Amino acid sequence: MWYMKHRVCIIGGATTPFDYGPTGFESVEAGAAECVKETQRDVPDFSLRDIDLMIYSHFSVHFSHQLAPEWIIHDHLGLVGVPHYRVENGGNTGGSALYAAALAVMSGHHNVVGVIGWETMDSVSQSQGSEFIAMASDIRYELMVGGIYPIYYAAMANKWMKENKVTEEDVATISVKNKNNAMDNPKAQWYRNEHRYITVDDVLNSRLIAYPIKKYDCCLMSRGVAFLLVCNEEYAKRVNPDHYVTIDGMGLSSCTIRAGDRLNFPGWIERYGVGYPDMTEFAACRNAAEQAYKMAGITNPLKEIDFGEIHDAFSTSEAQIYKALGLATSENIAQFIRDERTHMHGDIPMNPGGGLIGYGHPVGATGLMSTIECYYQLAGLIPKKHLSRRTEVPDAECGIVNSHAGTGTSISNFIIRRH
Amino acid sequence: MESVKITERKTKKFAGEIRFTERRDYRPPDVKETGLCFVGHEVSEDRTLMNQFLHYDQLYTIRHGWNSRFFIGLLDGKIMGTRCPQCGDVWVPVRTHCWRLDCNLERTEWVEMPLKARLHTWTVAGWSGRSSLKRLPIILVYAVIGDSKVAIANELRNVDPWDVEFDMPLKVVFKPKEERIGAVTDFYFEPDDEWKPSGWSKEKERIKQLLEPVYEWVKTLK
Repeated sequence: MWYMKHRVCIIGGATTPFDYGPTGFESVEAGAAECVKETQRDVPDFSLRDIDLMIYSHFSVHFSHQLAPEWIIHDHLGLVGVPHYRVENGGNTGGSALYAAALAVMSGHHNVVGVIGWETMDSVSQSQGSEFIAMASDIRYELMVGGIYPIYYAAMANKWMKENKVTEEDVATISVKNKNNAMDNPKAQWYRNEHRYITVDDVLNSRLIAYPIKKYDCCLMSRGVAFLLVCNEEYAKRVNPDHYVTIDGMGLSSCTIRAGDRLNFPGWIERYGVGYPDMTEFAACRNAAEQAYKMAGITNPLKEIDFGEIHDAFSTSEAQIYKALGLATSENIAQFIRDERTHMHGDIPMNPGGGLIGYGHPVGATGLMSTIECYYQLAGLIPKKHLSRRTEVPDAECGIVNSHAGTGTSISNFIIRRH
Repeated sequence: MESVKITERKTKKFAGEIRFTERRDYRPPDVKETGLCFVGHEVSEDRTLMNQFLHYDQLYTIRHGWNSRFFIGLLDGKIMGTRCPQCGDVWVPVRTHCWRLDCNLERTEWVEMPLKARLHTWTVAGWSGRSSLKRLPIILVYAVIGDSKVAIANELRNVDPWDVEFDMPLKVVFKPKEERIGAVTDFYFEPDDEWKPSGWSKEKERIKQLLEPVYEWVKTLK
């Protein structure tokens, strides 16, 4: 295959602790520098001098009130002269930045690409922050009537759950799983703040956000920075021969900005037939997964993928993503969840790192955090990075990373394998 | 050598002049365009950390351009949709060009929509953005107006949240003319007159239970 000529590898990465309020780093550029330094401790032969492209992953300049904030980070790292640009693609900003980095390496034009993502969502109140994010919905039609994403997601999930016979209790188990996984991860926001193990009843009794979504079904609004090191195989073999992974498949797809526009969209009818995706399925996730599976030669994702770090903006959307990734169907999705197949003891653990519900969701850093957690699993670094082996997927060979934007408006999937 | 005149003083603008003859201002008295302004700071006890408070208040002009007739329609108590003259697809929210690749961005034409809709999906919100908190709980629905190919999001009123049903018939209701501002919030949905809620159920009980603290919390908001 043409893309095998310049195989895309990941050889390291790190995040700051994710938090809401002080993180211990207190400035974005300092956080970025500390992420690079942690990566250097894991990969001592990596030097900043080797980087020949920097891609910055940041969603909203509203939060910092600073246009082109990546320019501050870039020269803080001493990287003048190295090309840089920023990728912005809603909640899929991290996934899209990784996609851009992979393309750069695949093309053969760049050898070592640094990706830095961040968001500082605690610079405004939670309700103002929700409204800022909702400005990525169509402000002319949706912002003033709904106001925040959980409401759009709840409307989609309400219908999806009815049609798939999935209950509030079922999706609550997903939140419980992710928050409790985060209790093994010292950088996770849930570990650093609420810091407790929870039950399904805790989720069911948490305050209503938008039916059927309660507070504990939602991801966390966060401050955080992440750094990921992407390169070609020659560099990987030279610098980190024992702990590198390869991006063997990737897909990026798109859907409508307004969820209500998906009922009869000609582009989807052509691909998947009448009635799909409606307002219930994530067509862009399915489409991006199909691309990634094809590229990686995966025909049975449930059997061939060992675990995933996926975009659980809400417990309901994690359930919807299982289906979009082809892990379950309308007939068996409820049972799939009840059998706890995605828990640590299941056959395809999802979000061992805690996900957005446990680790946190500083938008621009999120997709990179998921990739870094996936990398740690495949490179055998979990015992070093987490508090115990409880959240390690034993002998993991193949992971999936999923990054997701809007109401499913842009979605990327990556198949990453241990080398 | 022949001289070429490369500049000419223009007396005409490229676009024709548009006169805006109807203008309304309903800016609350406390909204001031102060621009960028530091309004405070805090320093940690050990004097190693500082937070600074920045206020920013700016007026934006949303220029609706070719979509304008939809928003003007709202001022007039009408739902305006668009229709592709080639394939016949109809939309509210509107599209100024057809979405079918085979129609090759055909310009659409305006059609007035009936004030009837069908509920596609719904939720009841117990939390929202800052500007909507006092209106909670809000029933948000996606509904298909007339023969539109897409659903539009808006509020459903005058029904108990636990009684809302998929596929229920709705009517479009406009606020009084003097309250309209040319935004989608100028209208909301109500159950169609013929519609009657179904009997009590476990799910209705659950929704009611989830909403009780929301009603109490909203009362505490100033």
